[in-house]
Amino acid sequence: MNAPTLWIIFPIGLGILLLFINNQRFLSLVGGSIAVILAAIAQFVPIEVALRVGSLSLRLDSGITILGRSLMIPPTEGSLLALIYGAAALWFFGAEASRTATRLVPLGFMIIALMVASIAVQPFLYAALFIEMAILLAIPMLTSIYRPPGRGVVRFLIYQTLAMPFILLAGWLLAGVEASPGDLALTAQSAAMLGMGFAFLLAIFPLYSWIPLLIEENSPYLVGFLLWILPTITIIFGAGFLDRYSWLRSSPQLILALRYVGLLMVVTGGAFAAFQRHLGRIMAYGSIAETGFSLLSLSLDLNLGIPILFLLIPARALGLAVWSLSLTIIKENVETMRFGEARGILRVTPLAGAGMIIATLSAGAFPLLAGFPSRLALWEGLSRESVGAALWMAIGIAGLLISAFRSLAVISMADEYTAWTARESFTQMTMLGLGMIGLFLLGLFPQAVHFFLANLPLMFEQLGR
Amino acid sequence: MLILITVTTLLLTAIVLLVLQFTARNFRYNWLIATGGALLGWVSVFVWQGQMPLAVQFPAWQPEALFSQSPTFVGDGIAWTFTLSLATLCLAIILTAVVRSNFPRPINWVGTLILTSLGILAVLADNPLTLVLIWAAIDISELIAQLRVVKDPALSERTVVAFASRAAGTFVLLWADMVSVAAGQALDFRSAPPEAGLYLVLAVGLRIGVLPLHLPYSGESSLRRGFGTGLRMISAASSLILLARIPPTSLASPITPYLSILVALAAVYGGWQWLRAPDELTGRPFWLIGMGSLAVAAALRANPVGAAAWSCGLILAGGALFLSSEQNKWLARALLIGAWGISGLPFSLTATGWNSGLIPPLLGWLAWPILIAAHAMLVTGFIRHSLRMTTRVSSEDQPIWAKNVYPIGISLLLLITLLLGVFGWEGTLQFGNWFAAAITSILIVGLMWLTPRLRILNPLRAHWVRPANTSWLDWGYQVLWNIYRQLGRVSNVISNVLEGESGVMWTLLVLVLFVSFFAQRNP
Repeated sequence: MNAPTLWIIFPIGLGILLLFINNQRFLSLVGGSIAVILAAIAQFVPIEVALRVGSLSLRLDSGITILGRSLMIPPTEGSLLALIYGAAALWFFGAEASRTATRLVPLGFMIIALMVASIAVQPFLYAALFIEMAILLAIPMLTSIYRPPGRGVVRFLIYQTLAMPFILLAGWLLAGVEASPGDLALTAQSAAMLGMGFAFLLAIFPLYSWIPLLIEENSPYLVGFLLWILPTITIIFGAGFLDRYSWLRSSPQLILALRYVGLLMVVTGGAFAAFQRHLGRIMAYGSIAETGFSLLSLSLDLNLGIPILFLLIPARALGLAVWSLSLTIIKENVETMRFGEARGILRVTPLAGAGMIIATLSAGAFPLLAGFPSRLALWEGLSRESVGAALWMAIGIAGLLISAFRSLAVISMADEYTAWTARESFTQMTMLGLGMIGLFLLGLFPQAVHFFLANLPLMFEQLGR
Repeated sequence: MLILITVTTLLLTAIVLLVLQFTARNFRYNWLIATGGALLGWVSVFVWQGQMPLAVQFPAWQPEALFSQSPTFVGDGIAWTFTLSLATLCLAIILTAVVRSNFPRPINWVGTLILTSLGILAVLADNPLTLVLIWAAIDISELIAQLRVVKDPALSERTVVAFASRAAGTFVLLWADMVSVAAGQALDFRSAPPEAGLYLVLAVGLRIGVLPLHLPYSGESSLRRGFGTGLRMISAASSLILLARIPPTSLASPITPYLSILVALAAVYGGWQWLRAPDELTGRPFWLIGMGSLAVAAALRANPVGAAAWSCGLILAGGALFLSSEQNKWLARALLIGAWGISGLPFSLTATGWNSGLIPPLLGWLAWPILIAAHAMLVTGFIRHSLRMTTRVSSEDQPIWAKNVYPIGISLLLLITLLLGVFGWEGTLQFGNWFAAAITSILIVGLMWLTPRLRILNPLRAHWVRPANTSWLDWGYQVLWNIYRQLGRVSNVISNVLEGESGVMWTLLVLVLFVSFFAQRNP
């Protein structure tokens, strides 16, 4: 047995099998449970260490070779896999409540496996192909054979696909840089290609116009899942480049670029969110700002930045899950998610309304909520480097908070004497309730996830050590 | 440990009541349980005196490399004073609940007990991180409590605005931390750099509605006497504690005198509106602004003990007045003890209120007469509202036990007002700045004499009082709203361009411009 089979090939096979099942509850429970098992194995069963169970000796090898290419999951990546599959379990368990399990669970397993493969594959050049395959798999998740794809889906496909040639070109040029490190022109070209590739992949400003469009056209839960998995793995993949190439890591221009781009994402995400009149689009811009926070963490001293980057991941996963589930439930009860239609919805779907507001506040670093500790650490780190940058981050946060307050004002403004009811189903209430409790727990006790995060920097050879 | 005993007693009582609310709706001894819990909590606060300073540290936030602070609580003299005030208010609210028309209403007592325990944790916070966490908890609790009961859409909007303004205060405190970190040290209540001190004052000002002047509490609300009083007072106390924690050295800034004048103007506004309010509940937001401004002004004079004194006066004297709803002439006269408590006279609770920890510059002196006038208006208004019986209801229909229990609640608040003037903390048995207090007293006498003689000093009729709609305030906020709308239009134009049919081309163009700009700055 080897690790890539367990965490890449098995989930892909499972996803294919699950495509033939239509029962929402079954899919949600089976998908969630298997993801939990995969996460538990990743956390507790060491790779490359023989385990004795009675007379049996079990050992998980770290690599497998397919067609001359190898997939390697070293022992230090166990915690990362636990985090990814643990968060996936969260999404899969919530899929029944959002009535998206038939699409999310099978395709979700495959997408996660492909994204894991993108980190595991060697040579890393092939990562772009795995990412592209994951993008292509997302298309059937977002479209239906009964209606033409919307503008958001088309743009999502275009922008994400455009990333592939840039990453491939960058990989090819980087091989040249390794051969002749003194060639500055080649170095600059490879850095530019790499930057463009990641700009498309991470939907850096102004390449993020597909996100609000996509969320307007599709189930917020499905889009939320993609907005969690794609940027999270892509950023880890990107951090791998920093780890691998010392010239990148030590380049002041790159650090500066990361900071500018991160701030641009946070500020534009926050500012656009503040002016939106559509609940879904606010989530879209919130997730854009989240990506900005991750980029900002990479612009800090990496001994601080890498732990912050990993601390951002659980908050993002839980926050987006609660946010998108809440929006999905709200969408079931209103014609559109525009402010005019959603007015007073808090009295009709109180838990969904509360979940949406709490998730928005969490994205805006509101104290006591999951997003707060990581953003506080990031904000303090940024202040040490530059007060101006910290002020720009404050502006982005202010935008996100304004969007939360506006949303709250709208959804609480019911007609006079409208009675409180709760149209959410039992499953929806349970999932939302657990999610909100989780957001508070993570906000109050960030050390709760330290168990998972403490060893994560070990996956890098140079960063965060 | 003692801190946990007090807080846990209150929280456990709330949990028991909550469980009973769902499992045994007809249970008859809810009030006794609530009173018992509040009384135990109140008594336990006195036990603190034997072991102060107390400290409780929660598990450290990890990774420790990222977090220099963790939730920590410390009980010193000032924290004890605040805690005793809050515990007394909680007990008084539950004791006086017996005469309310909606008695018994256990859910309100649950809310009061939870809020009190949060308020106590806030005043015990040993660092800014702990304080913002508790502030957030109080704000969310208050938001839920308000949204649960308001029916008018305009009121729910105001509730959200109040929540937003308090959140802004919280973030200003966080910004003070960032400024402090940039100066080389994490923000701490024991040592804050001069760059951060004014932000701390601004944070409190925003939360209580003094800087810039606004009304964070809705003027109209169905949460009136009991729970409503607790909500307002606890929320204010949890904010005002920060004033007593600001290191005096951090306020040495050239902006301080200007801020003092602004605060003095807010105090006069609050005092004037309070003086002319038709009844104490309508005037409550102005009481909070007026007394809060005096506390902020004391903090700006590097007088944290004075700030704590004004804050406790706000809670205790205000609490006694706002909980008084029955026609009882002896109790009305007893309320004058509250006026003594906030008079600033020697040996009163607020004796230290007019002290100054630094010699103000010439500009700073300008604030003094305005503040003294505001103080006189606040005390005069307090006396007037205390002695007015027309706004109170007759207690003839109340059962005899309720008639006896109700005055105990009010008396407890007044008793503690007296007690804190002579026992338990740094502000006891002080002469203070008796000169300022004497001028205030003369002004109070003058105002009392003039009130029946000058129409302008007479209360406005209830329907004329529209605290939220003051025209010049509205004008300022309208300007801000217009700017926001214009920015919104710009944002919409950009979104439409990038998301429209030609969006891909525009996006690529912007990308090229962005890359060129960046390449030029960083060759």
